[in-house]
Amino acid sequence: MSKSEKKIVLKSLDNEAFEVEKAVALQSQTIWVMCEDKCVGNEIPLENVTGQILAKVIDYCKKHAVVDGDGDESSEELKNWDTEFTKNMDQSTLFNMILAANYLNIKSLLNLTCQAVADKTKTIDEFHTFLNIENNFTPEEEAQICQENLWAFDD
Amino acid sequence: MKRGESLEPIPTDLIIEIFSRSPTKSVARFRSLSKQWSSILSRSHFTELFLTRSWTRPRLLFAVQRSNVWLFYLSPQPQNPYDHKSSSLILAADFHIKFHRYNMWMDTSSISRSSCSYASGLVCFSGMWISLEDDCPVPVICNPNTGQYATLPKIRTYGSTSYSFLGFDPVYKQFKVMSIAYRPRHERVDHRILTLGGNMRWRKINCRLYHVPLYQDICINGVVCFDVRSEIFKFIDAAEFYRDWYIEFINYKGKLGVISWKFGKPGTTELRLWVLEDVEKHEWSKYVYILPKNAPIDSKNVNVAGVTTTGEIVLWIRYASKRFYVFYFNPERSIYQSVEIQGFGESYEKSNGHIVCVFVDHVEDLNVSDGKLF
Repeated sequence: MSKSEKKIVLKSLDNEAFEVEKAVALQSQTIWVMCEDKCVGNEIPLENVTGQILAKVIDYCKKHAVVDGDGDESSEELKNWDTEFTKNMDQSTLFNMILAANYLNIKSLLNLTCQAVADKTKTIDEFHTFLNIENNFTPEEEAQICQENLWAFDD
Repeated sequence: MKRGESLEPIPTDLIIEIFSRSPTKSVARFRSLSKQWSSILSRSHFTELFLTRSWTRPRLLFAVQRSNVWLFYLSPQPQNPYDHKSSSLILAADFHIKFHRYNMWMDTSSISRSSCSYASGLVCFSGMWISLEDDCPVPVICNPNTGQYATLPKIRTYGSTSYSFLGFDPVYKQFKVMSIAYRPRHERVDHRILTLGGNMRWRKINCRLYHVPLYQDICINGVVCFDVRSEIFKFIDAAEFYRDWYIEFINYKGKLGVISWKFGKPGTTELRLWVLEDVEKHEWSKYVYILPKNAPIDSKNVNVAGVTTTGEIVLWIRYASKRFYVFYFNPERSIYQSVEIQGFGESYEKSNGHIVCVFVDHVEDLNVSDGKLF
């Protein structure tokens, strides 16, 4: 295999191009299927992911590809890296990472980012904002449901 | 409009993925997000998914009593604690919930290993004093996920000592509490049973065997087993270990296990484990493990929290210092790791009469519903 065949170009929604090792990109089941089908050339357009998010996804895939290949890092070190990776991401980045991981079908990244949101987001207001969920209870219904789950609001 | 600048709506199945990884407390809050979410989060599809997530991250549950208030803390159980290079691993225990009622306390002077039992997500306090006027303590069942509790009806014991134990029948999904009252003057033991969620009345049941309850459910040369579903007692020969006084019963990968000790100089302390291989034939297998030299275990302080589903024996030490340690011992690989649990140091101080109970493999189960049980 020539050097160019080992590389693949991922193109983001906003036309940012990332050249990566095939082994790195193939952690995405979506890209894997695209490559298997040979319906794309060396350049894969990813219409649902921005360059900013794709760069982070690629960082994650690089880290995990290296470890799988060389085995020079322990699972503990990898876990610490994962924790650091999501630690400083704000909520909107995390939600976009979840969407990207889901679209690209990278199970471990989806697990990691869903867990990070679950750990960080504790209040209802945050979810009302981020998920755009409308509170459609009547005041009586809301009072009753809060009463039933009173223990959860006792800090 | 570019993505990244505004948020794309998140599909419902992805939100469910997030919520299934949230703590029980958050899930209860999210029920008040909207009518749709209130309904989704109560359906069995979600509660079962939540349970499978919970199984993949079992926790240690700590029940700490401080000035008549019970505080529950949770700490993750490391999947492979021995991977760590440092000699002691530090883990944080998160405060989960407070359980208190004015004028309810446990007598710290009579605390024994049977004071507090655990089954499938619920904790049973064998004897809780409800008020000064009462002549005997009553069993109290508490859901450590929600802090909700039920005080069980008083049992007439005629001055005898009684113990209560909690059991769970996974087939009919019923919790049952058994009370054993020992009446030495009449040479009899009274057994009563109560099904949680039923009419909350004690039913008398007969045990053909006369046995004296010690610590947990044992008599001098045998083990009395009780089948929670059929409510039948069984007597199991335990002549093997009846000479060992300091024994603890454990659930060893689904089988009845017994741990006893032979203490010696550092590096010679033996942990003996019996596992009941065949209930009908009364067959026990015996294993003896030598604890490593650096294990700070002695006869006065060691407690067995339990055995995890992966086979780690979890030990802890009573009143060792202001720091609280648990110890993971893998008998098959003969390796050992001490883990400092941070987070309730201020609740746990030497000689202040604080009580700590430790349980392994606690999973948060939304199906354990207070409304149905209490």
